Amino acid sequence: MPLLETEHTPRLQVCTDVAFLPMLTGFVEKGAELFGLAPTQATELTLAVEEIFAYLCQTDRRVQPLDIRCSGGGYYVRIDFLLPAPAFNMRAFNLTASVPITEAGGMEEMGLRIASRLVDRLQLTESDGPGARLSLVKEKSYPPVSNPERLTAVPLESFAVTAPHPEELKRIAQMIPLAYQPHLIPSFFGFPGKVSDMVASGEYRAAIAKGDGGRIGGGILWHWTGARTVQCLGPYLFNQQTPHPMAEALLEACIGDIAKTQAVCLINRYPTDALPPGHFEPLGSWTGYTPAGTPIERVAYFRLMREDPGASVWCHPALEPFLRKEYRRLVLPREIFPAENLGESIPAFSVLWTEFDRSQAQVTLRPLRFGADAETNLIDHVRLLTKEPATGVFFFMDLGRPRQTLFTPHLLTHGFTPRAVLPYAGDGDIVIFQLNDPAS
Amino acid sequence: MNLSCLDSLVPDYVKCFEAYVPSKPDHELKKIYGCTVLHRLNNNENPLGPPPAAQAVIDRFPPPRASLYPSGDAYDLRHRLADRFGLHPDQFLVGNGANEVIGFVIKAFCQQGDNIVTADRTFAVYEWVARFSGFEARLVPLKDFGFDDGGMSAQIDERTKILFVCNPNNPTGTYWSLDRLTRFLERVGPRRIVVVDEAYCEFVDQKDYPDGIRLIRDYPQLVVFRTFSKMYALAGLRIGYLAGAPEVVDVIRKTCVVYSVNVLAQEAALAALDDETHVHRTREMVREGKTYLSQALNRLGLPFICGEGNFMMVKLPISDTLAYRKLMTQGVMIRTMTGFRFPNWIRVTVSHRHAMDAFIRSLADQVAS
Repeated sequence: MPLLETEHTPRLQVCTDVAFLPMLTGFVEKGAELFGLAPTQATELTLAVEEIFAYLCQTDRRVQPLDIRCSGGGYYVRIDFLLPAPAFNMRAFNLTASVPITEAGGMEEMGLRIASRLVDRLQLTESDGPGARLSLVKEKSYPPVSNPERLTAVPLESFAVTAPHPEELKRIAQMIPLAYQPHLIPSFFGFPGKVSDMVASGEYRAAIAKGDGGRIGGGILWHWTGARTVQCLGPYLFNQQTPHPMAEALLEACIGDIAKTQAVCLINRYPTDALPPGHFEPLGSWTGYTPAGTPIERVAYFRLMREDPGASVWCHPALEPFLRKEYRRLVLPREIFPAENLGESIPAFSVLWTEFDRSQAQVTLRPLRFGADAETNLIDHVRLLTKEPATGVFFFMDLGRPRQTLFTPHLLTHGFTPRAVLPYAGDGDIVIFQLNDPAS
Repeated sequence: MNLSCLDSLVPDYVKCFEAYVPSKPDHELKKIYGCTVLHRLNNNENPLGPPPAAQAVIDRFPPPRASLYPSGDAYDLRHRLADRFGLHPDQFLVGNGANEVIGFVIKAFCQQGDNIVTADRTFAVYEWVARFSGFEARLVPLKDFGFDDGGMSAQIDERTKILFVCNPNNPTGTYWSLDRLTRFLERVGPRRIVVVDEAYCEFVDQKDYPDGIRLIRDYPQLVVFRTFSKMYALAGLRIGYLAGAPEVVDVIRKTCVVYSVNVLAQEAALAALDDETHVHRTREMVREGKTYLSQALNRLGLPFICGEGNFMMVKLPISDTLAYRKLMTQGVMIRTMTGFRFPNWIRVTVSHRHAMDAFIRSLADQVAS
């Protein structure tokens, strides 16, 4: 999620004292209105911010200064809490944390969990310096596809790849759900206005293939998912014979756009049958779910954008066989350094951050801190998350951070399987674990 | 030192620019990829090495001279170039590789709001220097793998200061003929600088290929780049130069960093310049190498482009970055073309037969299969 701030970004500085809550809610309401959120979504965002703020006030009895920013991302409004860690009790960011708000004791449904359900994305990012950023993203509401029967595509004899104007973008956003199964595409394609705003904001980019008379034959979208990783969606072809050179031309437009940027890895998690052979390498597979809850095996693909200069990674011995096999298969030169706890002192508490992607029925756990309670904490998270119906539970381990790899034996003991290695997706490569059969 | 304000010091056009990361040294690469030999087919280096006279200069260089500054403006070399090309010595500027003179020209002519025009799939440094200096780089798609003169003309506006043409183009090897180049110069007119980068000109063996330096008299807006890195195999010493009309070079000289070219590079270049035998031997090796590679690639069923220059481009059935990794495990280093906006293509330097053998063998084993 890119930073959107400019010198004109609205900011509010308060202390972690509930007395400031009315001031904060007023700031969020006005900000949401300014950046175009409808009243219902604005209310939900405000409620989520209230929950977070109250939670932060309760987690630490000391009064802390807090910097809060509001920004618009075209199709969403975002609130950022800049947390002056280490003053904050990071343990509170475990989704399973139960913090007493009354003398009567803890409440299970509170704080982070309530907030996570009120917004579309809730992310915690540790900054390089001291502190962290907690971001709440609330997307705007858009009408779904209308009159789909009017959208027809014909095979094109010739075509040119161009950047789409907004009306063309809305048109392909309507055509994609007609041409592809829902579980093969991100859910936002059902909302053309949203896709138009996503591209207009600059967060997403797009190219389309047009023939004579402006007829659209296909399209592709791409966006940054990390500092060095870009995800492409598509290419999507409409009523064109496959394989078709249009698919390669669309993909080359995407690659050409990011070729001279800091992008190191291009991934494709929603491959279609139009994906040109030879441009990508199979990264690994994971179990996804159809909207009806049926498990479905999915394959992710990637390509490096540069010559691989080699890298070193940290690895717990229990993960080493998997890593060596994957690095050999992917021909990725890696020096593997062992990382395990050999009795040295470690923090008492671990922290796992939970990210929900409700549209894809996925939950991702990201380790922020390893601690003595790591196994218990993991078990608690699994217990809580498996209550969610038909949801893929993932654990992203950054091999550039040795402490994260210490979660390995607990993951393997408690039902997680390493599924893929994503090169250069974090400080180092990221290993993606998935919880086996979470529905059972 | 507290660097918390560093972000506010950095211009936006630098913030959004990604630094180029060069390859690691050979000994590191061999260790990383587990190979015992490394055929360097990635940088279009000349495997014959510098001409004998230049090698003698390098051999005889007295170490104590390293303590003295070199000629600040490559005085002897400029005079020698002037003799050779029939121009005045002040019509030449020598730089620390041709890369440095790109910066001289852009700094001399561009100011805020100006733009340069070049191709989208060519030597990247024109675009890079413009962008990290805060100027727009207008990129025109290649047409049939060559520079599109019409497309470039169409991109010109009142803020266009420089047009860069790589002739022959790296990496496609296409070139503009004398007729096409002069028509382009006529069309652009005298109000803009046209840079023709002739880094690979000594490899071209085509009758209609233009010698840009001979055109300067008639087209004073023309600036020509040349290098000693490719044909003359002095890449490790970093030396290149530009030539132009006296008035134009006088302006560029204002942004030129003096003393940037070391003494050994200047003297080796001076010794290399007249060695026509070396040029002939290199051309012969390249000609034989291209014939061999073309036949082998045809047998493997891999499409390729064999243009001018000491390199060829090959289209692969797999990702070029995967091919790089696979070939590196066999001790063969090629250049991936994704960064040039040619995904799934590689560029390979034409070299000695044993290196070409190793390349083809690895390609057959690791890629074509």
